[in-house]
Amino acid sequence: MTAPAVQNNPRDTYRWSSRAFVLPGLLIVAVMLYLPFVWTSYLSFTEYDGLGDPELVGLDKYQAMFTDAGFLVSLRNTLLWVLGTLVFPVGIGLLVAVLADGIKGSFWYRLPFLLPYAISGVAVGVIWTFILQTGGALDEALTFLNVPGDRPRWLLDAPLNTFVMIIASTWQAAGVNALLFGIGLQSIPKEPIEAARMDGASGWTLFRTMTWPMLAPLTTVVVGLSIVGSLKQFDIIWAMTQGGPGTSSETLALTMYKETFVNNDYGLGAAVAVFLTVVTVAASIMYLRRQLSDKKEI
Amino acid sequence: MKRNSVMGIGATASLALILAACSGSDGGDSGGGDNEDVTLGFFTDKAAWESSFDAMNEVSGEHGMTLDFTGYSDQTAFDSFVKQSFRTDSVPDLFTWHTGGELADLVDEGLVAETTDLWAEAEENGLVPDGLIDNYTYDGKQYCVPLNVAYWPVYYNIELFEQYDLDVPETWDELMQVADVLVENGEVPFHQMNMIFEFVWFQAMLAGNSPEVYEGLQTGDASYTDPEVVEVMEQWKQMIDDGYFIDPGVTTDPQALLANGDVAMAYFGTFFTGQLTDVGAEAGEDYGVFTMPNMNPEVENRQMILETSPLCVGAGSENEEAALEYSAWWMTNEAQNTWSADRGDVSFNPNVDVADPTLSALVDEVNSEESGFTIQQRYLEATPVPIYSVASEIFGEFVTNAPDPMPGLERLQAEAEDYWAGQE
Repeated sequence: MTAPAVQNNPRDTYRWSSRAFVLPGLLIVAVMLYLPFVWTSYLSFTEYDGLGDPELVGLDKYQAMFTDAGFLVSLRNTLLWVLGTLVFPVGIGLLVAVLADGIKGSFWYRLPFLLPYAISGVAVGVIWTFILQTGGALDEALTFLNVPGDRPRWLLDAPLNTFVMIIASTWQAAGVNALLFGIGLQSIPKEPIEAARMDGASGWTLFRTMTWPMLAPLTTVVVGLSIVGSLKQFDIIWAMTQGGPGTSSETLALTMYKETFVNNDYGLGAAVAVFLTVVTVAASIMYLRRQLSDKKEI
Repeated sequence: MKRNSVMGIGATASLALILAACSGSDGGDSGGGDNEDVTLGFFTDKAAWESSFDAMNEVSGEHGMTLDFTGYSDQTAFDSFVKQSFRTDSVPDLFTWHTGGELADLVDEGLVAETTDLWAEAEENGLVPDGLIDNYTYDGKQYCVPLNVAYWPVYYNIELFEQYDLDVPETWDELMQVADVLVENGEVPFHQMNMIFEFVWFQAMLAGNSPEVYEGLQTGDASYTDPEVVEVMEQWKQMIDDGYFIDPGVTTDPQALLANGDVAMAYFGTFFTGQLTDVGAEAGEDYGVFTMPNMNPEVENRQMILETSPLCVGAGSENEEAALEYSAWWMTNEAQNTWSADRGDVSFNPNVDVADPTLSALVDEVNSEESGFTIQQRYLEATPVPIYSVASEIFGEFVTNAPDPMPGLERLQAEAEDYWAGQE
C-alpha cells in the first residue's frame, strides 16, 4: 500500500507566503511596541536603579506612587491640562475655523495660527519663558502700559504656572486644530446648509443645529488627539519649569521621566508609565465608544 | 514552486532584518591592540568642552594616546546611556561621571576599574591635594581619577561694591551688613536659583554653621531637624524675606546678571569664571572673588566646598589598560597645565599655575596651611540620590516661596531615615 500523493493546495501556499510577508511587520510591532510595554510593566513590580538586575518587590511601587503627595499634584495638573486643552486649543481652533469659513482669503486668515505649529515644543517653551519670566516681556509690557498692581509670578505660583503653560501650548496647537476643523467644514455638503438657511436658520442656530452635528466625525478626531496629547504633555513644561518649583507644575509624563532618569527609580517611573498608559487608553476608548454610540443613535 | 520561493524570500527577509538588528559591531572604533598608538572611546556629558579635549589630544598624542570624543549635552540622557552601555559589549573605555552615591552604585556593581595604584603614585608625586582622595574611595580602594575640581567662592560685582563703598566681607556679620547696604539702595545682593542649584545656600550656610552636622547628614549621623539645620533654614528664610535674593523667576543667565550688576554677588563654583569670561567680564576689573564666611563665628576652620567630577575607566572595556594609563597621565603636571590653560580654570594638581590671577589667589589661599580651610564635599554629590531628590524639591519650593521650613525638614528627615534604614 502506498500513501496517496500529497497535492500542494495553491490556496495554502498563498496563505503561507502572505504570512511570511506579514512577519516582518509583526516582528517590528512586537519588538518595538509590545516588548517595551511588557518590559515596562515588569519593571513596575521591581526595585531597579538601571544597574544590575531588577529585584521583584510586588506592588510596592504602586503603593508608593498612590501615597505620594507629589503624585496627586501631578494627577491634578494632568487633569488641568486635559480640560485646558479641550477648552483652549480645541475651542479656539474651532472658532478660527468657523470665523474663517467661507470668507474670501480665509487661508491667509488661518495661516498665522498655523505657523507656531512648525516650531518644536521645546522652542515654544523657551520663547514663552522669555515672555513670562519675572521681569520678562509680559511684565515689561504691562509696566509700559501703566497697568497698576503687583505683577503675578507667572511661572512660580501654582496653579497659575500650569494655566500659563496651557496658554503657551494653545499658541502652538490652536492653528492645526483650526486647519483640521477647516477641512471638516469644507467637506460638509452645501445642500443641507442652504436648505436650513432657506428655512430661516442663521448664525448660532445654524451652527448648533446643522454645522456642529455634521462636523462630528472630525471633532471626534481632534478631541481624541487632544486628550491623548494633553495626557502625555511634556516638552513645553520641561522647557519652562521642569515641573517646578518643587513639583508644583509636574504632570504624569514629567513624574515618569524624573523618577526614572533623574531619581534612578526605574520601578516607580515604570509604575507611573503603566498608570499613564492605562489612563490614556481608557480615556481614548471611553471617548471613542461614546462618540460612536452617539453616532449610531443619530 | 514560484510561490514557495516568494515565501522563502519573505521569511529570509524577516530573519535578515532581525539578524541585522541583533548583530553588528560593538561600535567601538578604538584602535586597541596597538600599544604604540591607541584611540580610546571617551564619553562625556560635557559636550561643550570638546575643544579642550581636542587640545588635550594634541599633547597626549605624543604619548600614543588620544580620545575619540562623544559629547552629550543632556546629563540625564548621558547617565542613561552609560548605564545601558554596561548591559552591552560596548563598555566605554573612558567616561565622565559623578562622585558620591552615583559612583558608589557603579563600584558596587563592579563596573569601573580600580585606580588605587594610580592614586598612590599621584599622592607620592604630589599631583593631588590632601583630602581629594576621599571623593574616590570606597571600602578603602580608589576608583576613577579627578577630571577636574571646582571650588565654591562668592563672585562679586566690583563696580557695585565701589559705588556703595563696600569692603569685601570677611565675617558673616560683615556679609549681612554689605547685603543691608545694597538692599537699602535698591540693589539685589545675592543670586539664587530654584532649580539645578537650589541647594547651594543651604550647603554654604550649614557647612559654616556646623561642619559636623553638614558631614553628619551625609552619613545619617545627623538629622535634618537638628537645631543647627533649623537655625540655617530660619536665617535663610529671613534673608529671602528681607529681599536679599533675586526673584528665582528671573531666568536670565547668572553671569549676565552679575556682570550687569543686576545682582551684586553670586555663590558659584569656579567654573563660573569661564561663563563670566564668555560674556566679556574681566577678573579684577569687573568682578572679584571672596570665600564664603562661616555663618557661625565659633566654627574654627573656614569651610570650602569642593566639587569634583571623576574620569572613569569601564571595567572590562576593550582598552582598559590603556585607559588606566591615560588616567595616570591625566593627573600629571603636563596634562593639568594644558587643561588649566585651555579651560581658564583651576586644577586639582597643586603644581599647576592657574593663569587667572583671581582664581590663582583663591587656590593659593585655600591650599595654604595658614588659612586653615576645611574642604567639604558639595551637597549634591555628598547626599544619597533618594534624599537629594526630595531635598531638591523642598529647597526649590523654599527658594521660591520661603515657607515655614519645619514641614519640609521633617519630610526630608523621614526620607533620610527610610534611606539609612535600608542601608543597615
